[in-house]
Amino acid sequence: MLKTVVWRIVQFPLILAIIYLLTFALAWMAPGSPFEAGDRKIDPMAEKTLREQFHADKWYKFLGYYPYRILRYGDLGRSMRYQGFTVNEIIGQSLPVSVALGIFALSVATLAGIGVGTLAAVRRGGLFDWLSLSLAMVGISLPSFVAASLLLTLFSVHWPVFPIGRFESLADLVLPGIALSLIPMAYIARLTRVSMIDVLSNDYVRTARAKGLARWAVIWKHCLRNAFLPVLSYLGPAAAATFTGSFVVEKVFDIPGLGQHFVNGVRNRDQTLILGAVMVYSLFLMSFNLLVDIGYTVVDPRIELSKDEG
Amino acid sequence: MMRLAIIPLGLLALLAVAMGWLGRRIDEPPADFRFINSGDIRTLDPQSMSWNQDIRIGYAIYEGLYTLHPQTLKAIPGTAERIDISNDKTIYTFHIRRNAGWTDGRPVLARDFVFAWRRMLEHPGDYTYLLDYIKGAEAYRAAYARFLERPAELPRPDFASVGIEVLDERTLRVSLNHPVTFFPDLLAFPPYFPLHQEAMKPFEQVDPVTGHRTYDMRFMRPPHLQTNGPYRLAAWDFKRRVRLVANEHYWDRANVRSPIIDMIVVEDNKLGEFLRYEAGVVDWVADLAADIAAELLAQGRRDPSRRRQDLHIHPAFGTYFYTFNCLPRFKDGRPNPFSDPRVRRAFAMAIDRRPIIQNVTRLDEQPAYHYVPLRSFPDYPPPRGIPQDLEEARRLLAEAGYPGGKGFPRLKLTFNTGFNHGDVAQIIRRQWRDGLGVELELEGVESGEFSQRLHNVEYAVARASWYGDYDDVSTFTDKYLSTSDNNDSKWANTDYDRLCARAAREPDPAARLALLSQAEQILLEECPILPIYYYVNRSLQKPYVTGIAHSPRNLVMLKAVFAQR
Repeated sequence: MLKTVVWRIVQFPLILAIIYLLTFALAWMAPGSPFEAGDRKIDPMAEKTLREQFHADKWYKFLGYYPYRILRYGDLGRSMRYQGFTVNEIIGQSLPVSVALGIFALSVATLAGIGVGTLAAVRRGGLFDWLSLSLAMVGISLPSFVAASLLLTLFSVHWPVFPIGRFESLADLVLPGIALSLIPMAYIARLTRVSMIDVLSNDYVRTARAKGLARWAVIWKHCLRNAFLPVLSYLGPAAAATFTGSFVVEKVFDIPGLGQHFVNGVRNRDQTLILGAVMVYSLFLMSFNLLVDIGYTVVDPRIELSKDEG
Repeated sequence: MMRLAIIPLGLLALLAVAMGWLGRRIDEPPADFRFINSGDIRTLDPQSMSWNQDIRIGYAIYEGLYTLHPQTLKAIPGTAERIDISNDKTIYTFHIRRNAGWTDGRPVLARDFVFAWRRMLEHPGDYTYLLDYIKGAEAYRAAYARFLERPAELPRPDFASVGIEVLDERTLRVSLNHPVTFFPDLLAFPPYFPLHQEAMKPFEQVDPVTGHRTYDMRFMRPPHLQTNGPYRLAAWDFKRRVRLVANEHYWDRANVRSPIIDMIVVEDNKLGEFLRYEAGVVDWVADLAADIAAELLAQGRRDPSRRRQDLHIHPAFGTYFYTFNCLPRFKDGRPNPFSDPRVRRAFAMAIDRRPIIQNVTRLDEQPAYHYVPLRSFPDYPPPRGIPQDLEEARRLLAEAGYPGGKGFPRLKLTFNTGFNHGDVAQIIRRQWRDGLGVELELEGVESGEFSQRLHNVEYAVARASWYGDYDDVSTFTDKYLSTSDNNDSKWANTDYDRLCARAAREPDPAARLALLSQAEQILLEECPILPIYYYVNRSLQKPYVTGIAHSPRNLVMLKAVFAQR
């Protein structure tokens, strides 16, 4: 197991390098200039000096400078658009915001999703099952900008329970957190329901019931762990996605998170910022996938990582 | 099973840590005035300021030799208390106020201006050309750029050749190539702001070969930045907030009305801006989103009791127009019918602008038959506008060889996606199809790519706009000089160039404006552009706020703003 984990971690730099090069190629080829403002054409001399300052006058100069700085100092460079700020600062300020929100959203999604999914499976075919399935369907299909705007309008404008555009305390997390949790919650509920139905039909469940264990004790002690496995594999990419921020939810609730930088970075042709954001996201995705694989072995000792590799 | 509980518990622990990190709040006094600018500021380096939101903060923290009067926005003496102007109006001698101080307490000196201006010439920014009115500046700038290219072969150009002289600590003399009637206005504009060299020193990088100095832009962050204007930059939280606190060493400190000002950043979230204003979080929304303004205006029309007194809509210093590619051939080698002025004029005359304003923009904008916004320059005699005349348009098109639109190649109308550019383009396309029998294909392009296509003249007809920078008609007419970098149409007319050049040297203001009006007349006859409407400024301002001038240029002198809650 340890060997496998180490081997996976050794692969990280290679994968990151490939992602870096691909992202760089795309960002470099995109038409437009990070230094231009509005209708005005930037003075050619001014653009030239700026490009030189940013080591971005030639693609090989860019690749000769930034990757080295990243490896040597962990320095992602300065933002080409917001020139007073470094990419490290920008990500350093926004990532914790997104992570806090993501943790909140994912906790809500996991707890509620598993609860709803289990209940639905136990009362299979009943009213609750039908209701929760429909709600989950709505949760998956409703675009987050609609859900987020709806929540904001209802609970901040119509009934001002939660403040607008403030991001300081736990209460400010609630609305955006719920908006962000809807889609993963719906997925988790569906995943749990399906696998729980599967588990409930097993012989050992009948045996446990036969020896006199209470129904909920059986579900809690014997079924939930097995039913949890598919949810766990979904949690890896879900965590990477929610922790690195959602552009839409951040926009609607005005949250200074990382998600906006993916879109704004591309829109502004801010090459250094795009690369930084993509690198952080990739690192998150790979780490969470690894954590999930390790999590498997904790939940189900029969699974050994080394055999998965084959 | 209990092992499973590790996961939610772990998550909660992480959450607590993250919230603890976020919750670090510093106790600070509330601001006296809070407003929303358009997004975050991009730079506070006067050398590269060109966005309106940056310039607004620029005027709050810096001050030129002249500054703008808070109500009229006319140029008045700023850091200089006395200005001697030679009889031929080409030599300006500035006497800097004894009590003008930087935020760190050091007095403002003549050398601070020389340092900033020299840096501007050696390290050009968007507005460096505005220094070219100074004697020798343009030549020095070009020579310095050549020197940087080949430092081994060429001598370092001598800055003494530029008409900027320090007479003593507080006296500065500037010699111009020719009289420039709006020079005081330029001196109030960011490219002419001074800089504090010692404060920038820690961020300086000197090229070992050329001795060329560049600066790490972190110099413009607090607490490093030292400025000489009414305010100092106390905090700049990226994409969250900028805090300005009155500069105790500013010469006119007594007239700085609000000691603390917060600029709240709401990025690309129009509804969020409006909701915060409604919730009383801010006192002023400097650039209200056009569609929200239109909606509020329409609400007030439907129901007069909901008419908003705090919604301000005023003519702006800019024009929305379409530009024609005037080159004889397109980049792909096909002949360009728009190189014929008759075709351009026909297209321009066929447009009825009213449905665009009534149905799309909905802010009672003035339809534009001129390029220079009419209401921005009260003394400017406007030339004859482009008439709206469909019969004449058809005749011109037939004369150019396309009767009823027959034989006209299938071309594209290019616009940048977003805002309402697509809706405007549809109306225009329909009018050209129904009126002239010419069918164009609509092409929406992402804005970064769009501006590149525009600058490289890779289009047939495209959406465009222009906002003026300083209080003179030439801020508009210069764009269509054949030598201008911003002339995206590649229209070139020697008479136009000559009239503009004569106007630039004309000392008499009225005669100047007459010359510029003649130049604009040529532009409107040749139609490299099709003016559609004049922009309006939109803002929301609480009734208790005073000191905001609703001028076309949409600038504000924050030192005069006061919220009497």
